Order: sequence, then C-alpha cells, then structure tokens
Amino acid sequence: MSATGRRYASAAGALALVVAFAWLVAQQPLWERALSAIFPGSANPVYPGVTLADLVVRHLAIVGFSSGLTMLVGIPLGVWVTRPSGADFREVVAAAVDFGQTFPPIAVLALMVPILGFGLGPAIVALFLYGLFPVVSNTVAGIEGVPRTLVDAARGMGMGRARILLTLEVPLAARVIMAGVRTSVVINIGTATVAAAVGAGGLGDPIIRGINVQNFAYVLQGATAAALLAVVADSLLAVTERLLTPRGLEA
Amino acid sequence: MIRLTEVTKRYGETLAVDRISLEVPTGEVSVLIGPSGCGKTTTLRMINRLIEPTSGLIEIDGEDVMSVSPEELRRRIGYVIQSVGLFPHLTVAENIATVPRLLGWKRERIASRVRELLAVVGLEPAEYAEKYPRQLSGGQAQRVGVARALAADPPVLLMDEPFGAVDPLTRERLQAAFERIQREVRKTVVLVTHDVDEAIRLGDRIALMRTGRLEQYDAPEALLDHPASKFVHDFVGADRALKRLGRVRVADVMRTDVVMTADGTRKIDVAACSGGRFVYLVDDDGVLEGWVDCRVLAAGTPAEEAGTRVDWREAAATPDTTLKDALSQMLGLGFRDLAVVDDRGRLLGEVSLRAIEQTMSGSDAHVSNLAEGEVLGAPADTGEGEVE
Amino acid sequence: MRNEGHPIPAEATSADRSHGARVDRVAGFGAAVALSGCVALPFVEFRENRIASGVGEAVTAAGWLGWLACALLAAALVAAFLPHAIRARALPAVAAVSTAVVVAALGSAATTLQEGQPAFARVSIGPGAWVAIVGIAVVWFAAWRASADVRTRWLAVALAVAGVGAAALWGGVPELSLAKEYAAQSRRFWPLVGQHLTLAGAGIGFGALIGIPLGVVASRSRIARQVGIGVVAIIQTIPSMAMLGLLIAPLAALGVRAIGTTPAIIALTLYALLPIVRNTFVGLAGVDPAALDAGRGMGMGRARLFLGVEVPLALPLVLEGIRAAAVLVIGIAAVTAFIGAGGLGVLVFQGWGQQADDLTLLGAVPMVVLAVAADALMRGLGRVVVSPGIREEAAA
Repeated sequence: MSATGRRYASAAGALALVVAFAWLVAQQPLWERALSAIFPGSANPVYPGVTLADLVVRHLAIVGFSSGLTMLVGIPLGVWVTRPSGADFREVVAAAVDFGQTFPPIAVLALMVPILGFGLGPAIVALFLYGLFPVVSNTVAGIEGVPRTLVDAARGMGMGRARILLTLEVPLAARVIMAGVRTSVVINIGTATVAAAVGAGGLGDPIIRGINVQNFAYVLQGATAAALLAVVADSLLAVTERLLTPRGLEA
Repeated sequence: MIRLTEVTKRYGETLAVDRISLEVPTGEVSVLIGPSGCGKTTTLRMINRLIEPTSGLIEIDGEDVMSVSPEELRRRIGYVIQSVGLFPHLTVAENIATVPRLLGWKRERIASRVRELLAVVGLEPAEYAEKYPRQLSGGQAQRVGVARALAADPPVLLMDEPFGAVDPLTRERLQAAFERIQREVRKTVVLVTHDVDEAIRLGDRIALMRTGRLEQYDAPEALLDHPASKFVHDFVGADRALKRLGRVRVADVMRTDVVMTADGTRKIDVAACSGGRFVYLVDDDGVLEGWVDCRVLAAGTPAEEAGTRVDWREAAATPDTTLKDALSQMLGLGFRDLAVVDDRGRLLGEVSLRAIEQTMSGSDAHVSNLAEGEVLGAPADTGEGEVE
Repeated sequence: MRNEGHPIPAEATSADRSHGARVDRVAGFGAAVALSGCVALPFVEFRENRIASGVGEAVTAAGWLGWLACALLAAALVAAFLPHAIRARALPAVAAVSTAVVVAALGSAATTLQEGQPAFARVSIGPGAWVAIVGIAVVWFAAWRASADVRTRWLAVALAVAGVGAAALWGGVPELSLAKEYAAQSRRFWPLVGQHLTLAGAGIGFGALIGIPLGVVASRSRIARQVGIGVVAIIQTIPSMAMLGLLIAPLAALGVRAIGTTPAIIALTLYALLPIVRNTFVGLAGVDPAALDAGRGMGMGRARLFLGVEVPLALPLVLEGIRAAAVLVIGIAAVTAFIGAGGLGVLVFQGWGQQADDLTLLGAVPMVVLAVAADALMRGLGRVVVSPGIREEAAA
C-alpha cells in the first residue's frame, strides 16, 4: 500500500474505533442485559441515576477542557522559551517540567484541593497543570530537534523569524508536539477518573461508588468505559500524530 | 597460508559467491576488490565463518576451517572492520585485551602485550591505554582496532575496508603505518577494499571480483599490464601508468648524494653546488629548513635571495611515500624536485621528476617481464628496490 | 567529544546570556511572583478545627517576620537588576535567607493565630505562602546559575538548611497544621510509608523481572516486539483506577481476593512493564552492530557477547526505564489505596472523604518526596554503574 493509502487507512481505522465506542456506550439496554447476565445475583447491576453515555460525555468534557487549556498555554510557552526573547527561561522551564513529571498525578490533585476546594475546579486545574509537563517538554524538544542547518538555510534565503517558525519549525516539530499532547491527554483521562473522588464526576463515579458499596457491576461499567475511552483516544491521537508528520519525513 | 577451493555462497536463488578458488601465501597481503555487491566481503567473512559457505573448502595452513568451532577459529584470526567496532564501554586497553582474555592469558602478560601493541600501532601507551573509544579520533580508533586484531598474535588477519571511513590524509597515514607493521609482523592478510589505489599500494596480489566470480587474481603489476578481461581493464582505469607509480616508493628512486649545509646561506656560492641542482639548508639536527637553487645562484643572484625557506611537513616526501603521491605533491607545489625527509623532518635525499619519468617508462618492460614468468598462486617477488 | 553534531546546547547560550545581561529576568520573575504571593494572597489560613473551612490571614499575621519576608523578596527583585558581579553573590544570599524567613514567618503566624484558641484550632499554609515558595524556588534556580563558584552555592544551601532547621526546632513550625496532623497520625504514618514502598517496590521488582526478559525477547524477534510492546503499551493507557476495577472479575474467577494487596501489586507490575520493556528493547537495539560484528569476529560466543557487550551497552537505558517505572508506580500505588491495598493513598482518600485537607497533604507531600527521591536515587545509581565510556555527561 502507498504511504498515502496507509495514512487514510489508519485514519479510517481510528474513526471507526471512535464510532464503535460511541455506539457502544450509547446502548444502555445492552449494558443492562450484559451486566445482569454477568452478575446474576445482583438486584441492580446498572449504575443508577445517570446513563453511561452521560458519564462519558462528562469525563470527556473535563479532559477536553483542561487539555485544550494545556495546549493553549503549553505549546506557546514551549515555543517561547526556544525564541531569543524567552531563552533566559528555557532552563528554569525545563527543570520545572522535569521536576513536575516526577510528581504523582494524584498528588497534584491532592495539592489542589486545599487551595481550591472540592468539585470540578480543582480537578480541571490539576489536570491542566499536570498536562502541561509533557506538552511543554515535547514542544521544546520538537523545536530544538529541527536541524540547525535547515534554519540557517531558511535564514540565508531571507525568511523572517516568524515565517521560519510557522513554515519550518512548527511543521517539522508537529509530530513531537503531538506526541506530548497524546501523553498528556491519556494521563489526564486516567487522572480524571481519580478526580471523581473529589467530586468532579465522570467515569470514576461508578468505580468508586461500586467499591464503596461492594457492587462490582458498577465498577465494571466505569472501568470498561474508562479503559476503552483511553485506548480509543490514544489511537485517535496516534493517528493525528501520524497525519501531522510531513510526508517527506514519513518512514 | 589460506586456501579457498571452489567456495560458493548461495542466498536462496542468488549466488553471492560463485566457485572462488584462490590461495594467499603465508606472510602476504591479498586484496579482494570489486564493485559493491561483487561478493568480496562475503568471501572475507566466510574465512572466519561469520558467514557459513554453502559449499567448497576453506583451509588455513592446511586445516579445514569447518573442523573447528567458529569461536575457537575466530580467536586465531585477527579481524578489522571499516566501522572499527571498538566496545565503547571499555577502555582502549580493555578493548585490545579482548581476545587474550578470551584465551585466558595472565593479567601481567595481557598488560605488557597491550603496551607493546599500542607502541606498534604508533599510540603512546601511557596516554591512550585508559582512554575510552569516544575520546579517540577516527584514525586513532582504527589504530586501536588493528592493535586489538593483533592482540593474540594471530597468524591470519582479515581486514574489511579497514581504512574506508577516514579522511584521505588519515587514510594515507594508516596505510603507511599498516605497511610498516606488516613488514614487521608478516601476517597472512586478506584485505577487502573498493579503492584501486589502496589495492595496488598494499596488495602483494589482487583478486578482482565481479558478481560473485573471480575475474583475475594476480600481482598488481600483472593486473595493470595484462588485464584478463575488458572488465578488469575498465575497473583498473585508464591511468594505469600513473597507478603503477602507486607500487613504487620514493625510497626506491631517491638520490641520497645531495649537498646540504647547516651553516645557513652565508658560505654558499656556485662552487658549493658541486654540480648539484640544490644546496639544502638544514638545522643542527639535520632537519630540512629550505634550499638554494644553484641555477639562480649561477645567474649571479646572492645566496640569500636564491634561497627558499619551507616547512618540511608540507614541502617534502618520506621514503614510504608512493611515487604517485610524490608526483601529485610535485605538481601541486610546482617543483621538479622534492626533498625526502624522515618522520622527524631530517633530510635524507631528493627525488626528481626525471627519476619518476624513468620509472614510468622503464617499469613497463620490467613489469611485463615479471608478469610473463608468473604463474597463478606462485609467490610474486615484489619487494622494494627491484625497480631501477 | 564525539557528539558535536548536536545543535549548540541551549543551556550554554542562555547561561552566557545571564552573565552578559543587565537584568536577570528569571530571578526577577521569581522574585516578583514570590513578592506578589506574599503581599496579595492570604499567607496562612486559620480554621477552628481540622475540617472547618479556612479563613485567610495576610502576611501581617506573622508580625515582624512577615514584614521581613516581604522585604527580602523585594530585595531579591532589586538584586535581579544589579550588575552581574554583585548579583552572583546577592542572589544566593537573598534566596537562602528568604527561604528560612518565610518558613519562620509561617511558624510565627501559626503561633500567633492559635494563641488563646482551643487546642484543635489549625493554621495551615495559605495560597500566598505556596506561591511565595514556588517563586523562591525560581530565585534559587537563577541564583544557582548566576553564582559561578561552587563555594557560594553550597554556602547558600547550608545557610538555608540551618535557617529552616532553626525555624523548625525553635520557631513555630510545629504549630502548623501539617505538623500537627503528622503528630496526630504519627503512629500510622510510618507504617503507611512502609506499605507504600513495599507496594511500589514489588511492582518495580516484578516489572523488572518480567519486563527485562520481555525486552530481550522483543529485541530478538519481530513478532514478539510488535505484539509484546503493543500489548504493554495498551495496558499503559488504561487509567489505573479502571485497571484495578477490570482486574476484579478475572481475579475473582481465579479465586483471588479482588480487594487488597494482590490485585494492587498485579496492577503495579503491569504498569511498570512498558518503560522497562521498551527501554530494554531500545537499549539492545541501539547497540552498535559494528561492536557486535567485531565481538563475533574475535570469537566471542553468544553468551559472552550478550553479557560482555550488549548488557553493559544497554544498561543506561534499562536503568532509565526502571527509573521511569519507579516514578510511575510510586504514583499509581497511591491509587491502589482505594481497593484497600494501603500506602500513602489511604491518607489522601481519607482526607478527601473527611474533607480534612491536612490529612490529604500528609499523604500527598511525602508521596512527592518518595517519587523525587526514587528519581534521584536511580539517576545516582546510573552514574555509579554505567561505564564512563558511554555515560551521557562524561566528556573527553
């Protein structure tokens, strides 16, 4: 298959996964039947009050909002420290990002609660902050990974700094930046599950509730959906990563 | 002695090496050469069984290589490759000690052998023994590679494009060093290269291969003068006369009866020339500093003005320089005569363009005589000094 | 040095910049952040008991120490604008002193605010102080870079440690809510730390025991590589809480209790796999083929080639994989508390359950310390066991 063909095939595959996942979580009756079959002894195997689809939507909203914010702040920050105007801060940002990545995600969440209280707010701030680390570090690595000779050649042809950034550095770094976004989003989907414990809602709710009331059917619903969500999001972002790779650089 | 008899290597449908037979006499250098994909590296790697032959017989000193285990066999064969392959996590000394350690030598014996070998390849033991490969230049790394291959004093040395990955100047030095070492140790060497000049310079005989087959196996002179086929003729190239100069060293044609003085230009006049073309200026240690042109002197110019001051590193040849390189140096400098110095710059003599010309015209007859009387496999006498 | 092909390291250029520049922008930024946190945000929070909601108190609650802290941060801001020769000494000094004074001010505020209050009143570190601490950390960073000589640096560190130590021993630091919470929980705190380390250690240990051989197999077989690394990568994307939930059914079928230590260790092992397997594979795949060819050509057997060449050359990356796994697993071990596996996560989840922030922090802060310590330990180990010939930072 040609390179172009492979691109479209993998994109189509990822889209099919997304559609299949959306369809699956929307089949509330199917889940009811399946869970009754797996847990025949349980009187109410289905997490009450809210459909699985709603939980997925809420989960996605939390992750989507915080990750969007992360990209909005993280990518420009990463680019800025590679510019002469921000070069002074490159080291301190790199050190902070390295240090931050050793923090357990749950600890970041735990540190936010005393400052911001319970609920959606601290969850989104924690996800936003924790998500910054991979995005910033990959943006810096991506931009700095662009061969100096190319930048010199562009400068030699009379391209301005802004043009070099937009037409050369960012496209060549796009794949690495996107890999950072992917890591960030996947971690955030996981941390958002834990954030249910501080009242953020989402797919962590049935898992935590299920453990607390010893109803493993609840746990299974939340866990299956959260796991599938993470895997689907990961493969979708992997395809995006690939589509952002300039054709000339494709392996 | 290494003997290959009808050696064949087949990969599925393709014949990588097709019934090659050749003999490398003990203490000689045979060069395998040919276009890429001709099977030269495959042939080399079958000798130490990094590649197992499909059929045929390979013997080292009469012993079938298939009769010993590959590991044991390889410990008796030195192996040098283009990318050197030094172990980056081990020091230079530890790298050289690899095979002696495999053979279970005593610690002191290994240590003294390492020092000895570093000196042989021209690296100061005290300075280099504890360095790591990444601290070496490409040329130094390859010297260590050669030392490592010689560590257990194997009778046979296999070299796969050993000087291919370095710049031309370093390559020239490595080749000269190899020639010097080979004169001392007299190993039976099989060397793979794609560089015709290198083959002519280093080989006692050359095996030219093409698509797995042996086109011609002969002394360099015979290959140049009597190509067995159009392919050999074309591969060797049109400048055969020039290539032949690659076989002859400056030492063979240089004059040593040159006039030199350590007194500077003060006492030099036409009489001092005593018929020579130049009066060479040297310092108290005999290191070349320049010369005075006697013809300019004869025209009445004072000695101070007829003199030329030079740096011996740039404007002189060594006895080991091939005539080809010396000629190229003369053309580059615009000289008709070139001073010859040793490796510390001490004047030994001079070589003239005329002497080189004579070699070119004279050697035709000489080499063809040699080639006529030669039979495949018989040792060729190509020692220095016979071209005159 | 061989790696000359790399672009000029950014550190070199920016370090030169900080030397030549008239203003140390990093120090200025850090000091401004710290100062604004100190002045504009509540420095501490007062609560009537450990679960009551807090009331913010300004830095003035700390009395003269509070004023001094703000003054020092202002001084740091000024120091950022001084010529390099002066700020090379001024910045480390002001960083060290302000660190100690902020800690002392926290203690002083805690003591003052709790005077005449019932014993269960609490004073915790407020957002202003947190911001100040982050800002001071940035000033430290700039000071480290600005001071060229090692003596100034370690003198500053010694000064800060002594100051903080004095504040902790003789100042009001034990009056801070986190210290009080620790005092209240000290009986179970250390056993929980031990549990946390056991869980994480078991996960890393089993992860290495399974992951390293898996990485070796992956480097030898294409199919093992594609399937093995693919599966392990999918495992890695699954949220830890979901993983623990998903393990319940299969473990129940095997007759293993789905709650407690066993499923936790299984999950932690699974998460430890990816970095270890991948790095082992990448490390082995990255071994110079020329070194292997040379080794084989010299008569080294398979085992000797593997142990003598491949393993030492892949070691830095394998250790890096174990380091990444350790950091990851220490974090995930916290989540396993919710299925009853214990560890510091117990304090975090209980803190959330009781809305007791101090308890949450008592779990979270040591967790961060453990992760950072494991990170540093593994990096240190790498420096000791990796051959100087292939160590990253060592140069000719």
